[in-house]
Amino acid sequence: MSRAALWAVAVLALPGGLAAQDTTAPAGVRVGITYTPGTRPSIAVLVAAGAALDSVRAILGRDLDYSDRFEVVAPPAAAAALGADGSPNYRALNALGTDFAVSVVPSAPADPRARGAIDVLLHDVRSGAVKNRLTLHLADASAEALRRAVHRAADEVVEWATGAKGIASSVIYYVADGKVWRVDPDGAGRELIPTAGRPSLSPARSPDGRTLAYTAFVRSGQPIVLQDLASGRRDIVPGTEYGMNITPEFSPDGRRLAFAHGNENGTDIYLYDVAGHTTTRLTVGRYYDNLSPAWSPDGQRIAFISTRPGLPQLYVMQADGTGQEALARFDFGSTGMTYAPEWSPDGQAVVFHREVAGTPQVFVVDLATRAVKQITGEGRNEDATWAPDGRHVCFVSSRGGTRLLWIVDLETGRMRQLLSTVGARLPAWSPGHASLEAG
Amino acid sequence: MTNRVRLAPLAALLVAFGCSKPPAPAQPAPAPAPAAAPSAAAPDSAARAAARRDSLAAVARADSLERTARERARADSVRAQVQRAQVDSAAAAARSGLSAADSAVLAEAVHFDYDKADLAAADLPRLDRKLAIFQAHPRLEIQIAGNCDERGSDEYNLALGERRAAAAKRYLVAHGVAAGRIDVVSYGKERPLDSGHGEEAWARNRRDDFVVTRGVN
Repeated sequence: MSRAALWAVAVLALPGGLAAQDTTAPAGVRVGITYTPGTRPSIAVLVAAGAALDSVRAILGRDLDYSDRFEVVAPPAAAAALGADGSPNYRALNALGTDFAVSVVPSAPADPRARGAIDVLLHDVRSGAVKNRLTLHLADASAEALRRAVHRAADEVVEWATGAKGIASSVIYYVADGKVWRVDPDGAGRELIPTAGRPSLSPARSPDGRTLAYTAFVRSGQPIVLQDLASGRRDIVPGTEYGMNITPEFSPDGRRLAFAHGNENGTDIYLYDVAGHTTTRLTVGRYYDNLSPAWSPDGQRIAFISTRPGLPQLYVMQADGTGQEALARFDFGSTGMTYAPEWSPDGQAVVFHREVAGTPQVFVVDLATRAVKQITGEGRNEDATWAPDGRHVCFVSSRGGTRLLWIVDLETGRMRQLLSTVGARLPAWSPGHASLEAG
Repeated sequence: MTNRVRLAPLAALLVAFGCSKPPAPAQPAPAPAPAAAPSAAAPDSAARAAARRDSLAAVARADSLERTARERARADSVRAQVQRAQVDSAAAAARSGLSAADSAVLAEAVHFDYDKADLAAADLPRLDRKLAIFQAHPRLEIQIAGNCDERGSDEYNLALGERRAAAAKRYLVAHGVAAGRIDVVSYGKERPLDSGHGEEAWARNRRDDFVVTRGVN
C-alpha cells in the first residue's frame, strides 16, 4: 500500500480522542530480564507544550521503545522544549548525544481547516535536519482510531530511521477462556472476535488480513472455520465438517490453507485450495501423526510436527508433500518432544518449542546451519509466534507464576509481558493492515 | 478424507440427549485490563524507580494470593465436576433406557500412560463388560472421547486424544461391535477432570470417556 493511501485512511479528527488516552502506565507491567541495550541510536519524542499531545507522545514513545531499535531517551526540559516554530533544540540534543528526535506538533494552529491535524517529524539531530514528516488527521478520532494512527506513525518513524519495518501496527490474535481475541503489540486495543464453537483454537489470519481460520469445538466435531473478520460471516472448510480438524495456516499467497485432519487412522496434513474448494492430502501417517503445518514465506515448503520417530519432532517437506525429512536434529531417547513450529518472516529460521527435562522451552533452528538455539529458560515457555519484523517472538510463559503472553526481542534478549490475561495461549502474530485496522 | 455423513442425525441426537455436555471448566476470571507499559519518554527518577519496585512487589503479592485462591478453587471445581458428571450420567442413563447398572458399566473410563494411546491390559475387562451391553441392545450407539493431561502442546494433545479414542473403538470393533455404532472425538487437554498439576491429576485426565449417543429404545 502506498504511503499516501496509508495516511488517507487515518483522516479522522483530534481533541476528544486525545483527552481519552491515558499517559500513565498501570503498575508493574514491564519486568525486564537479561536486557542488553547494545549500541542502538537514541531517540527523543518531543511534543509542543500545551497542545494536549501527551497521549500521542506516550503511545509513540512506547512503540519506539518496543521496537527495540532505539534507546528512547527523555532529555531535560530545556533540551526537550520545541521552539516557537516547532523546531527542536538541535544543539542541546546533540550535546546530550541524542541521535534522532521525533517532534509532534499541531499542523497549522492558526488554520481552522487544519483542526485536529498533527505533524510527526523525524529529525536527524547531528545534521540538524528534518529527515521525514507525515501528517495525522485526527479530528474527532476515537481513542481507538488515534491509537492505531499513532502506531502506524511509529512504524513510519522506525522505517525512516532504520530502514526496517516496525511492528507497532501489527496485531496478535490469541485464545483466552476458549475465545479468540486480538490485541495490539503494546498490550492495548484488546478485543473479542466472536467465533463459532467453544473453545475456538489455533487462530490463523489470512495474509490479506480479511479472514481468520480456526478450529471450532461444536457438537458435530471440530471443523476448520473460515471467518470473514469484517462481516463475521463463517464458512466451514469442506471435508472438515466431521472429525478432528486442527492447526490451520494460510499459505503466504493466501490461496491455500494447510491443516491437520484426524480420524481413527491418525492425524495427517491436508491442503485446501481456497478458490477451487478442493482438498489434497500431503502426509500419510497411519501409524503416526502429522500436524501443525507452518509455511515457508516463499510458499515452497512446509515445516510440521510428526510422531514418526516415536514422539513428536520437527520435520519439513515440499508444499506438495514430497521430500519429507527431519528439520531440527534430535537424538532418540534424549531429545524432548517438539511442537508448534512457525517459519520466520525472512525464511531463515523456524521457531518451535521442545520439552527440556519435562518443561517446554522455546527454540529457534537456523535453516542454513541447522543449528538449534534455546531462547527461553525460566518457567514453561511454549507456542511461539514471529513478529512481522522477524526479530520479536511472542509466546506463552509461566515465568512469574501464571501463564501469560510475553514478547522477547531475539537481538537483545529483552522480555516484556504483553497481557495480564491469565491463561492466554496460542498467539498468532500478523502484519498490520491499515485499510482493515483503521478506526 | 473420511466423510461421515451419517453422523448428522447422530449429532442431532446428541443435542436431544444433551449427554455430551461437558462440565464447564472452572476458569479464573481473566483480568480484563490490558497491560500497557510505562511511558519510555518519562524521566527515570528515583521516585519512579521506587514506584516501580513497589508495583512489582504488589504484583508479586497479588500473584501469590491469586495462586492460593486458584488452588482452593481447583479443589472445589474437581468436587463439583465429579458431582456434575454423576448427575449428568444418571440423567443420561434414564434417557438411554439402559439400566443404571449397565449405564455405569458403559461409562467406565479407560486410562492411558503418558503420551501413549495403548490400552492397558488392566482396562480390557472394562471394555469386555461393555461388549455384552452392545450385544444385548442392538440400537445402542456411543461416542468415545479421548482426553489428555496438561503436558504437551494444546494442538498435539488433540491428535493424541484422537488416537486414544480410536484405540478403544478398535478394540470394541475387533470384538464384534459394528464400527458405525461408535463415534470418536478428541478433546485433547481441553476438558480435564482434574485441573491439578501432579501425576495423580494427570493420570485421571489421560482417559477415554464413553457417552451414549443413541439409546436402546
